[in-house]
Amino acid sequence: MPDVALQASGLSKQFISGGEPVPVFCGVSLLLKAGESLALMGRSGSGKSTLLNLLCGLERPDEGEIWVGGHRVGAAGDSPKEQPGQWAGLRRQSLGVVFQDANLMPALTLLENVRLRASLAGQPDGQGPEWLNRLGLAGLEHRYPDQVSGGQRQRAALAMVFAMQPEVILADEPTGSLDRHTADEVADQLFRLQQETGCALVLATHDPELAARCGQRLDLAHPGRQSDCQ
Amino acid sequence: MRLILLLSGFLLLAGCSDDTTNQGFAGLAETADASEYLQPRPGDTLVFPEDYGPHPQHRIEWWYLTANLKTGDGKPVGLQWTQFRQAIQPRSPEIPSPEPGSWTLDAAWMAHAAISLGGEHRFAEKLARGDVGHAGAEPEPLRVWLDNWQLRQQKPGVWHLSVHAREWGYDLTLTINGDPVAHGDRGFSAKSASGEGSMYFSLVDIALEGQITLGEQIVPVSGKGWFDREWSSQLLKTGQQGWDWFALHLDSGDKLMGFQLREEEGGFKSGTWLPADGEPVPLSPDALELKPEEFRHGHPVRWRLQVHGYGVDVSVKARPGNYLNMGQFPYWESPVDVDGSHSGVGYMELTGYARDGAKD
Amino acid sequence: MNPFLAQILHYRRHPFQLLALVIMILVATMLWSAVSQLTAQARTSMGQSEQALGTRYQVQRADGQPVTVEDFVTLRRDGACVMPWLEVDSSTRAGRIVGIDPLSVACLADDTVPGALQGSPLDGQPFMDIGEAASLARTEPEAAERLYLIGADSISPANLPQGYRLTDFSTGPETGELGESFLLNLDALAVLVLLITALLLRSVHQLGMAQRRASFALLFRYGVTHSSIRLGLFLETLTLALVCVLPGVALGLWLANGLAGGFGQAMASLFDTPVYAGQGNHWLSIALVMAGVVLGVCLLDELAPRLTSVSDNLKQRQVPIAAGVLVLGLGLVWAGKSLPVVFLAVGLVFLGAGFLAPGMVAGIARWWARSATDPLNLWQYAELDVLARRLAFPLVALQFALALVLAVQALVTVFESTFDDWLSQRLAADYYVEVPPSADATSAASWLASRPDLIEPGAWHRVVRGRAALALPEQGKSQGIDVFSVGPVSDMLHQWRFLDAIDAPWAAFSRGEGLMVNEQLAMREAVSVGDTLSLAWGDQTVTLSVLAIYADYGRPAGEVLLPMDRLPETFSATFESLSVSLAAARLHELERGLKTVWQVEDVVIRDNGRIKTLAHEVFDQTFLLTRLITFVTLLLAAVSLLIMGWVFFSTRAWYYQLLTVWGLGQREVTFRLARLAVGLTGGIVLLALPLGIWLTWVLVHRINPVAFGWSLPMAVYPGFWLELGVLSLLIGLSIAGLMRWQLRHAHSRPLSASDVTGGER
Repeated sequence: MPDVALQASGLSKQFISGGEPVPVFCGVSLLLKAGESLALMGRSGSGKSTLLNLLCGLERPDEGEIWVGGHRVGAAGDSPKEQPGQWAGLRRQSLGVVFQDANLMPALTLLENVRLRASLAGQPDGQGPEWLNRLGLAGLEHRYPDQVSGGQRQRAALAMVFAMQPEVILADEPTGSLDRHTADEVADQLFRLQQETGCALVLATHDPELAARCGQRLDLAHPGRQSDCQ
Repeated sequence: MRLILLLSGFLLLAGCSDDTTNQGFAGLAETADASEYLQPRPGDTLVFPEDYGPHPQHRIEWWYLTANLKTGDGKPVGLQWTQFRQAIQPRSPEIPSPEPGSWTLDAAWMAHAAISLGGEHRFAEKLARGDVGHAGAEPEPLRVWLDNWQLRQQKPGVWHLSVHAREWGYDLTLTINGDPVAHGDRGFSAKSASGEGSMYFSLVDIALEGQITLGEQIVPVSGKGWFDREWSSQLLKTGQQGWDWFALHLDSGDKLMGFQLREEEGGFKSGTWLPADGEPVPLSPDALELKPEEFRHGHPVRWRLQVHGYGVDVSVKARPGNYLNMGQFPYWESPVDVDGSHSGVGYMELTGYARDGAKD
Repeated sequence: MNPFLAQILHYRRHPFQLLALVIMILVATMLWSAVSQLTAQARTSMGQSEQALGTRYQVQRADGQPVTVEDFVTLRRDGACVMPWLEVDSSTRAGRIVGIDPLSVACLADDTVPGALQGSPLDGQPFMDIGEAASLARTEPEAAERLYLIGADSISPANLPQGYRLTDFSTGPETGELGESFLLNLDALAVLVLLITALLLRSVHQLGMAQRRASFALLFRYGVTHSSIRLGLFLETLTLALVCVLPGVALGLWLANGLAGGFGQAMASLFDTPVYAGQGNHWLSIALVMAGVVLGVCLLDELAPRLTSVSDNLKQRQVPIAAGVLVLGLGLVWAGKSLPVVFLAVGLVFLGAGFLAPGMVAGIARWWARSATDPLNLWQYAELDVLARRLAFPLVALQFALALVLAVQALVTVFESTFDDWLSQRLAADYYVEVPPSADATSAASWLASRPDLIEPGAWHRVVRGRAALALPEQGKSQGIDVFSVGPVSDMLHQWRFLDAIDAPWAAFSRGEGLMVNEQLAMREAVSVGDTLSLAWGDQTVTLSVLAIYADYGRPAGEVLLPMDRLPETFSATFESLSVSLAAARLHELERGLKTVWQVEDVVIRDNGRIKTLAHEVFDQTFLLTRLITFVTLLLAAVSLLIMGWVFFSTRAWYYQLLTVWGLGQREVTFRLARLAVGLTGGIVLLALPLGIWLTWVLVHRINPVAFGWSLPMAVYPGFWLELGVLSLLIGLSIAGLMRWQLRHAHSRPLSASDVTGGER
């Protein structure tokens, strides 16, 4: 299945709280081909961020398996020693992660941030200005993150992610800290570029309008409904 | 009765210390080890001139001069010179003295000198170890010295005393009149009912003439003095705290030596009545009565003194001033004036009183 | 809940901050009070001993025979207050024993009891009762004993009996002003310690304040006035100061008194400075100064906002201003003629350097960043730039502490080697022989010259000391100076250190072509090599050119060194000796020979090796203490940088986490962190090096000459720099280690992009 960008099956995760295991979600499966998008819905605390962390290898699932670009990388039973290197390589080159904010190194300019991300992914870093330009940040290349607005920062974060030419973008509430108008602009650019580059997108959000723009939708259970996991 | 100082202060320095707190004034009630030291007993008698010299088999002894003098213009001057010997090891006569270069510490010497004039009291103290040579005593001709302080016989019946303290001193010629007076039983002077005592004799009629030096000032003085020799190995009985001692020259020509050793309950009194003409009479304990009447610096400075049978009922009073000798063991040594049935002058010694007086 | 309580409750959320502040105040106070207490104590006792001790005398026989117990008796009977002092060299016991007679000390008590004796138990270390000492000497066949008669101050030659004379008596090496100089440097150390602790305090406090500013702004919005917020802060800091400073002072005094045992012993035996001054009760001033420092450094920004705005303005021009202050300080140190000016100048240099150092590390990082081609390296240098600026205070504290440690280490080593040189110069020979007053040193010299089989030529020389008048034609008067004369020129003299000299000065000296002067005289009278000096003794005059200027540490007096054959016949020597180097086995032969030559029964031969050993033991102890104090300062600075670094890194943890998100492996992230932290501490060591070397130079070449008129040699110890480098590496690695641990155990993420403590650059 070379077309499949990201696949997960039967993912479960629980945390230990006060000595008791507290399930976050269980039995979650998803499948995304190149160019497809998936909205990850659910209330605060429903496990959206945790699922994204599993999908980019920052955390390990208790159960289930993950395939990226057709390669199985994360399964609950795998030796933990083998995984980090594998995941790190994927994050470096294939998986672009965008958080709600603080995606940029504060000590570097917007352009330097983009170049850093691109160079880590092994992409030519000369395209940095172009990506910033495509995201409407022309003229702001040499500004530092604290010298631009929140919307501009998030657009710069998108520029960084697209500059690495990922197979999958994992975005965790990328517009969550922005006002409606700015959020819409940023979302427009995200979807437009995703279509243009043909990468897959997993978008965690609690905004139904934003979710509606994605081809697929996955609702995570309400944190109270843990009976699903029994 | 004369002051005895156990030189425990400097014995402590010399590393021969003992706990002296419960051994009476200056540790004088410390029990003598009979096997080591000779202890005077009733029946012991005096031997002259040997007894003017040291007694190395006894623990303690002293040569003690007090004098009531007057300056050329009639101001009263009190004067004291004392040299003590304190044995650390008794030494039998057959054992020769160690050679000086061995710095042996078998005995220590201490000298006290004082001048009282116009309410001011000057006191100095000197210390020395025995057998080195800078302190000692010899009986014939009499010589008692410590550094440059010295009592020395110039010719029979004439002695010379010189003392040089830092800022004062004296040079006096002593003319000895009369024979030595043996106290108690032919020289054995009991110090308690249970038999402790000392060998004790005095020269009671001494004419002094010479000069005292006070800073740059040289003052001629003359008057009369009293000289004591006493030695023992244990003087105070356990529980005796100190004593009050008097030696008086009465204008009638009579003289009196009296003392009491204080205990929790009562004490022990004794003395000698020396009539102007006639033989000395030992006083029985109940013949002498002593009552303190006024205190100064924690010490009784005025006394009512009675000698029953001799018509003596006098007030004995220290002149104004503080007469504490602030040496290793502070004690009171003052000239006194006598009023009442008799008048006269003399010396009073008070020991074993609360030390708080010493601070004044 | 009142606003004050709301302010304080910050610490409920951040107990670690409060704890850090409390520990910092406590330790800083302890350190400073210990140092100042020790210095004050040593100084007081030195003053006391100078007053009490004055010169110590001994009484000797005019005929040169050793004094005996009979002489003691004669002198005492004559009224002279002398005390017997019986030195016994025991073969079975370690070292020398001194027998004294406590009973004869009584007459000295009015005058002067030698400081060493005061309160000493007679336990044989080294004092014991003279009787025991004498019997020890007599029971041991190998033991040698010698009696001295120590005289009271009241004794004058006029009132000594015929046949006796008065001479100086010393029990150990005289170090003159070396002790005073050392104390002055200890003072400088105390001031620097105070400066460093102030910086550390400020850095820890500022850390908390940065987080609290938001809550203060909130309180202000709720209607609490600025002044009441400030009052609250003042009360809080005052309470903190009171609660921490007093126990800190107590701890410091406890530490000082604990150390004072060894220290006091060292001072007592070395400098004749017994620490019997006891507990100098200046704890109140220590506490007040420290409380002032705490209030000052913590509240500067709050209580003097105008000053802060001024300093903000200054920050714009920080580099030129700091550079100006630095240059001004450097110039003042060079030109300063008085101690306060030099101290002020040192302060200025530290101020300037302190402001420049973090900026320089940051600047270098920026420069590297600009030239970096790899974006990851670029990030690393940019991050270093931020760190250097954000951690400025603890970094500067570490820099100062490092400079201080470096300077103290160099100073202490210099003192040690100077002392060694000085001892070697003065005690060049293995032994020295006092020439008895009745004896003729010339005859001994001829005898020695005739016995090359016993002692090689060049292994001995004669020493004669006295006085002369130095003509000062420009001032139209003359001045009394010390004369030191040697002949023949032995090999031992070649060890002397010259500050300036003609070529082959000793050769010219032995030909009688000139004289040498000590540094003190050269400085005071502006004498240089090649000048001509005229010395006069009555109507006899000698005029010679200056061949060399020699170092003569710690002596206030001016001195000329004259060839023996240029001494006038009428010269009256105050002291004569022979310095000889020969095998110990042949010592008895020498002694016998000299006894025969001089026709005396006793010859005093001093073993210089023993004096040196004693002096070194004592010095080691003192310097160990100094090193300990500076090392604790360094440790404090290091720990504080560690804490600050960790706290600051924590605020950046999210961004380091981003590296993981972007696909960097754990190992590489750790490596990057380690490089970052080590780069930071290493940079500071590099900047501390010149400051420390400069401080060493100032201490030995500026402060000492200004204070005492003589300089110490300058030395650098690269081996020690390496040690400091390793230390900084360890601090850096510890910070990186802590970071790594934190990255593994927490997913820290800033709440908003504007979070004040993380997103700065």
